Amino acid sequence: MSTRHILLGLLAGGPSHGYDLKRRHDDRFPQARPLAYGQVYTTLQRLVRDGLAEVDGTDSDGGPERTKYRATDEGARELAEWARQIAPPAPFVANEIFAKVVVSILAGGDPDAYLRAQRAAHMARMRELTAVKTAPGADLATVLSADYALNHLDADLRWMTTTAARLTTLTAEVDSA
Amino acid sequence: MSSKGDTSVPLLEGRDLGKAYGRAHGRTEALRGASLRLDAGEILAVTGTSGSGKSTLLHCLAGIVRPDTGAVSYRGERLDQLPEKRLSELRRTEFGVVFQFGQLIPELTALDNVALPLLLAGVSRAQAHTRAGEWLERFGVRGQSELRPGEMSGGQAQRTALARALVTGPKAVFADEPTGALDSLASEQVMTALVHTARESGTAILLVTHDTQVAAYADRELRMADGAVAGAEVTA
Amino acid sequence: MSTDPTARQEDPQSTARATRTEGTRGTNPATGAEDPQNTNRATGTKDPQNTAPATRAKDLRNTAPATRAKDPQNTAPATRTNGPLGTDLRLAWLLTRGSDRREWWRVGLTALGAALATGFALAAAALASLQGQYAVSLGAGLLDQPGTRSGVIVTLLLLLVPVLGFLGQCARIGAVHRDRRLAALRLAGATPAQVRRISALETGLACLLGSVLTTSAAVVVMLTGWQNPPALAWAGVVVTGLGVPVLGAVAGAVALRRVVASPLGRVRRVRPRSGRASGLLFAAAVLFLAASAPVAVALTSRGGPQRTPAYGGPPLIVAGLLVVVGAAAVGLVGGTARVTGRVLARRARTAATLIAAERLREDPWAAARTHAAVLLVTVVGTAYVGVRQAMLADLHATRADRLGASMSYYETGLDLTALAILVALAIALGGLAVGTVESLAARRRGLAAQTAAGVPRSVLGRALLLETALPLGPALLLGGAGGMAIGVCYARLTADGAPVMPYAALLVPLGVYAACLLAAATSLPLLRRSVRPAELRYT
Repeated sequence: MSTRHILLGLLAGGPSHGYDLKRRHDDRFPQARPLAYGQVYTTLQRLVRDGLAEVDGTDSDGGPERTKYRATDEGARELAEWARQIAPPAPFVANEIFAKVVVSILAGGDPDAYLRAQRAAHMARMRELTAVKTAPGADLATVLSADYALNHLDADLRWMTTTAARLTTLTAEVDSA
Repeated sequence: MSSKGDTSVPLLEGRDLGKAYGRAHGRTEALRGASLRLDAGEILAVTGTSGSGKSTLLHCLAGIVRPDTGAVSYRGERLDQLPEKRLSELRRTEFGVVFQFGQLIPELTALDNVALPLLLAGVSRAQAHTRAGEWLERFGVRGQSELRPGEMSGGQAQRTALARALVTGPKAVFADEPTGALDSLASEQVMTALVHTARESGTAILLVTHDTQVAAYADRELRMADGAVAGAEVTA
Repeated sequence: MSTDPTARQEDPQSTARATRTEGTRGTNPATGAEDPQNTNRATGTKDPQNTAPATRAKDLRNTAPATRAKDPQNTAPATRTNGPLGTDLRLAWLLTRGSDRREWWRVGLTALGAALATGFALAAAALASLQGQYAVSLGAGLLDQPGTRSGVIVTLLLLLVPVLGFLGQCARIGAVHRDRRLAALRLAGATPAQVRRISALETGLACLLGSVLTTSAAVVVMLTGWQNPPALAWAGVVVTGLGVPVLGAVAGAVALRRVVASPLGRVRRVRPRSGRASGLLFAAAVLFLAASAPVAVALTSRGGPQRTPAYGGPPLIVAGLLVVVGAAAVGLVGGTARVTGRVLARRARTAATLIAAERLREDPWAAARTHAAVLLVTVVGTAYVGVRQAMLADLHATRADRLGASMSYYETGLDLTALAILVALAIALGGLAVGTVESLAARRRGLAAQTAAGVPRSVLGRALLLETALPLGPALLLGGAGGMAIGVCYARLTADGAPVMPYAALLVPLGVYAACLLAAATSLPLLRRSVRPAELRYT
């Protein structure tokens, strides 16, 4: 996920300073990993360096002095370009769970027990997310982001179920190779 | 085991349940020694592949089917030993059931379908209609009260079925693949409505499903395989 | 609908070809190669929807081996000898064989109905072939004279009406599943004509079975007990023996218009509308009977004295009157059922009444259809009691004048009529019982779900009985009144003094009502089995 484009997107609403951007990001993407302030600061500096954003002055608002930023025209173009591009559908199959199953077979471990434990962890996370989205007063952004994660976890679970059912064959294949 | 209810009497408990269908040849053992407990107000999901015995387990616990072996107790009362008349009454007043489809009477309107359990309990038609209307309202299908099941969408029919299951204020609702015939959005609406109402009224739910996203609405999940509860319970 | 999509996708494709290109079934060896044995066994016992593709697959497999080894291109002409009828016949047979027990009930009961129909029709035809005076050892001389013979013929033809009603009920057994199966055939690419032929064959063959049984029995009787049957009697045997199955086949084809029109007709879970077709068929059959009665009467009256036509007059008039009253009563049943349903649905206080009333409102003509024959019998029965009373009174009064006339001649006539009415009642009640059982069997999954939800079986049983009792009450009242009017009119015409009101006739509708409830109650044991939770599994 491109933090610079998301910040550019947040700046499209009008000039804003770093702390404000971080807060709005965390509101807008409730279940995402929260942005660190340091990351916001460095990303903004890079945007200015590349001419996609510029300093819009400072205001102190009674407290410490804060720098406000705004997007340049080139920044707006860059943002539009990025939003149009499709996300590459699973370009590499990098699957940690599958890797662990194979490694576990190679090392003579218990892949079945691992899959059961992983399944329990996935289910627990799914229950958490479901509780978040069904909580009274949950807004649509929360529901949708939880749904996104739920669907991915569900896909993982389905894959784990079919894999667990075929472990014997997989073990034979891995061992013979 | 669920930590909160170990000391108290569970709402519903099945111990070492066994059930076989069919005669001498072609006999299938749907349940072989399945056990579970359902605490008051708890939402429990029973998952497993098709043929793992989860529907039969639900039927046994809801008193729809008598197990061949083992015991089912509801608040300390042995369900498997009750006469059919008392069981029917229990299912009508203390329990609610929701299936994948087909539990609504096709000739009755949604309103009459929801009012039916109340009518059976001797409530007057007018009063039954008032309460049925309130429940349809809660599930967002008030506008469909005069429609018959065949004239509603799948999701509306299922929400009507939920209203019917909950109209008597049951202690436990048994739901067998309640969203099995629905798309994911309708499924989400049905499940949210069910879970909300259950939480509000403290109704326990036994939810049989093969869909993990539906199972995630529960507090706890129980996996079944080959007619028994597989491995340890998975607790939240 | 939960039809197995794979089953539908892979095999109908080939079935489509197999069924469409009459006789070239061997051209697709691919399907013949895969082994559907297991799928057959698995699905055969369950959903009939799955059964259809499975059995069709079997069909392909069975016929494939002959051609599979060789080059399909070359074998195609060789197999073409098996015409379209052969293919349809085989399909009809496979579909029947692969289906559940209810299908066999339908075949058996249809054959029984056809056997009865053939029997009555044959007897009427044989009597119609007689002319002038005869000395028949049966029936206390009633069959000797053209006049009374006409009466017997008309009675026999009237007896066909309840038989027709019975056959109509039989045709409904498993109708939902059969329609679905035929719709699946359409989806698989069968042409409308093909589906119609298959269903015509299904019904026609069952009727043929019954007709063959009765006809052979009749031939034996004619050869042994009748010195010299006229050629006309033989012609009657042939026409009747072949006519019953042919008419059965035609009725089977006509009743399926909707399925034939749309392959999705029954696959989608649409609300079943009561078929107009079956009502029209019944009306057409009754009209056919009404038309054949004068012919038969005219036949048997040939060569008599000058005033022969008058012989057939009274029986025909009575029969015509009965049919008219019966038809009016049927029309009224439909109307009253609708009104009763609507009124009661609004006012119902108990669950049983509510369910019964809503079912009536939903399909009022189903009740009319089921009860038509019962009504006709009630009209006849009530009228009969009145007429009998008046007639006997008349006979006793005039006995002194006609010393020669034997009392037993008239009494036997009256008793035989009573017997005919009882037979008709029995057949009509049989039809009613079959109809109730079928309506139960068709919705057993829903009933099982109701029971699971805690609706007591007793409530469902009461609703079932009320479904029969509610529309039948007013209808029988009307039918009884009609019959009573006929009886009283007759008494007016014959008696010199003030006629005695035949109050005993009032017992007839009451008795019929009780008998109907009993007939409907025969389905209650089935209710017990229908609500088993195992039914929850199947759609």
